[in-house]
Amino acid sequence: MKKTCTHQPDCLKLIQRIIDREATPEEEAAFLANKEQCLPCQEGYELEQSLRKAIKSNCSSKCPETLFARIKAKLFVVLILISILIPLFC
Amino acid sequence: METSTQSVSMPRSNAQVLFEKEFMPHLDAMYNFALRLTNDEDDAQDLVQDTCMKAFRFIDSFEPGTYAKAWLFRILKNNFINDYRKKSRGPAKVEFEWVEQSFSGDEDQEPASHADLHAETVNEMLGDEITAAIQALPVDFRMIIILCDLEEFSYEEMARILDIPIGTVRSRLHRARAILKDSLAAYAKSKGYH
Repeated sequence: MKKTCTHQPDCLKLIQRIIDREATPEEEAAFLANKEQCLPCQEGYELEQSLRKAIKSNCSSKCPETLFARIKAKLFVVLILISILIPLFC
Repeated sequence: METSTQSVSMPRSNAQVLFEKEFMPHLDAMYNFALRLTNDEDDAQDLVQDTCMKAFRFIDSFEPGTYAKAWLFRILKNNFINDYRKKSRGPAKVEFEWVEQSFSGDEDQEPASHADLHAETVNEMLGDEITAAIQALPVDFRMIIILCDLEEFSYEEMARILDIPIGTVRSRLHRARAILKDSLAAYAKSKGYH
């Protein structure tokens, strides 16, 4: 197992593209094979995955029901206005 | 508030059905994005409402079958930049304020992060600490992290939403993550995380 990675900046970019599902299958396969032999790449991969997971589980908020109702009510008013105004100009 | 009646020319029932079917399912994601951008619940609600009304007004320019969520996020982002950016609130916790202060310079530069941060440390951190670190990022970086890591837009979709070249999406995202890691590493060190 390698303790240092001579291509670390490039590997980090590739790790992020893999996690973002933007890498090609070939790039991903090559990295995953290399990862088993390279400690910094292994740790980098785990860190990026953890960060993604932490963001997903801690940065979500649900839309308040009152906002949902307010938008529907406003839309309803707009539609009523359209149905009244359009015949006047047609 | 501007009236939303001028530009809707498709039949009323079609517009309403399209709106409810294609747009309303994305309300949670839109609210969350707005909240991350404004840092304020009331501003976030106003931003989402304005975005919905604009989307309805310009519903004729939406092509059914294309990605409604990306279209809505683009309107929301433009709305935020035009009307809300100046009054958006700062980060809630002072511990991360240095991130804003220390950031400057060209976003296409290679990120300088060599943060001593490990997956175990991130896993140990509390949700509020992660959220505060995200909220302390400069808004352009916060925006791209939310779009990518939370909403899972592709680089191409993010380029369209943000009106930037795809190369800038890559470099901005890379830099945003580097700053976030630096910030979390400094915070973890100050709080005695392993």
